[in-house]
Amino acid sequence: MRTLRTRLGFDQRELQSRRAFFDIQDEDLARLAELRELALKHMDDINEEFYTHLLSHPETKRFFPDDATIRRVKRLQREYFLGLFEGRCDLEYVENRLRVGAAHEQIGMSPRWYIGAYRKYLSQLLDRFTNELPVGEGRIGYDSVLKLIMFDMSLAIDAYIAANLETLGRHQAAIRELSTPVIKVQDRILLLPLIGAIDSQRAQQVMETVLLRVIEEKAKVMIIDIAGVPVVDTKVADHLMKTTAAMRLVGAQTILTGISAQVARTIIQLGVDISAMPTLARLQDGIELALSMLGQQITKAST
Amino acid sequence: MVETVQSWEVPIAREDDIVLVRRKARALAQERGFDAFAAAALTTAASELARNVWVHAGGGKAIIEELTDGYRTGIRMTFVDEGPGITDVERVLQGGFSTARSLGLGVSGTRRLVEEFDLQTAPGRGTRVVIVKWTRF
Repeated sequence: MRTLRTRLGFDQRELQSRRAFFDIQDEDLARLAELRELALKHMDDINEEFYTHLLSHPETKRFFPDDATIRRVKRLQREYFLGLFEGRCDLEYVENRLRVGAAHEQIGMSPRWYIGAYRKYLSQLLDRFTNELPVGEGRIGYDSVLKLIMFDMSLAIDAYIAANLETLGRHQAAIRELSTPVIKVQDRILLLPLIGAIDSQRAQQVMETVLLRVIEEKAKVMIIDIAGVPVVDTKVADHLMKTTAAMRLVGAQTILTGISAQVARTIIQLGVDISAMPTLARLQDGIELALSMLGQQITKAST
Repeated sequence: MVETVQSWEVPIAREDDIVLVRRKARALAQERGFDAFAAAALTTAASELARNVWVHAGGGKAIIEELTDGYRTGIRMTFVDEGPGITDVERVLQGGFSTARSLGLGVSGTRRLVEEFDLQTAPGRGTRVVIVKWTRF
């Protein structure tokens, strides 16, 4: 399985450039490793204070519904905390930090609370460092930890964005599939109700889907209903005519229905000639025309 | 005298932005009491011109202004790009001429959809198209 890190294309080069930008030197990491003892000493009181803060705000409290969850996240938080003082910042570290970000995205904690929680963390660290270390040492140590935490935050934000893009991509794919629902009205008659804006990608997909279905169903007539298309400009008209021409190549005729009064007027003003295909206002008329093209008709049942 | 009441700027950087420009035009026309035909005409014109910015110049922007002359409401839309410009303006205005293998009716057709139309362009100097549509009394 590909790791989150490789999915994001986070390689050695990216690590180098990001570490350079965040100014994370080997000295910083060595300093943090030296501070591990101090970190261990305060790990538990920092952790307690941190969760008291999170649990006292309804926005963050809702992520910790029961004691079992709280115990679990406290344990994870201790691991995270000690991770800052291990003196490393390599690809494995990156993978770990990305997972932390992805986990927060998964539970639906938005970055603002995530970043806000970090603020608490930093303030606690600053407090311990200034109280327990000589002035200069405390400041330098705090600077090192600040670099690494900002680095962690950048990774978490990367994970958030990647997760959102993936969701968006999945939705788009689903919508694309739904957006060309070719319906079989009757033997040899297909119907495509178009709804929404038609961009170039969608137009191409419409053309391909329609062609495949016409051949598959051995259809003779394709009804395209554009009642749900908000704007018919020259580009949309052009797509429709190209689709019609392609239909003709595979032996099917196209009927265009669902043309509103406004669209009719606009098309005329634009000067677009769509006489290559029969056009009708109502879908029902389109279906009747399609039937008559095939020598059939709808009749009332005789009683 | 014609005054601008409000204005909006919509960047056109991706194909999806055409939809945003068009939606803004349609919503504004409907809110300001344009009839259905006028709203459709303005929306279609916005769609054509925004697409031209994207297709021919790879991007630019649309400025949408609500106007008033004291009696009527108008909508002015300005489409600006820094693309290659148009070499043969006369032919483009006449219609039936296209460099993008399409109908070639976008500009000439749009002109008929609106009351005011102004096109300024020069090869290598970008293109600026201004259209205005007014409510009827």
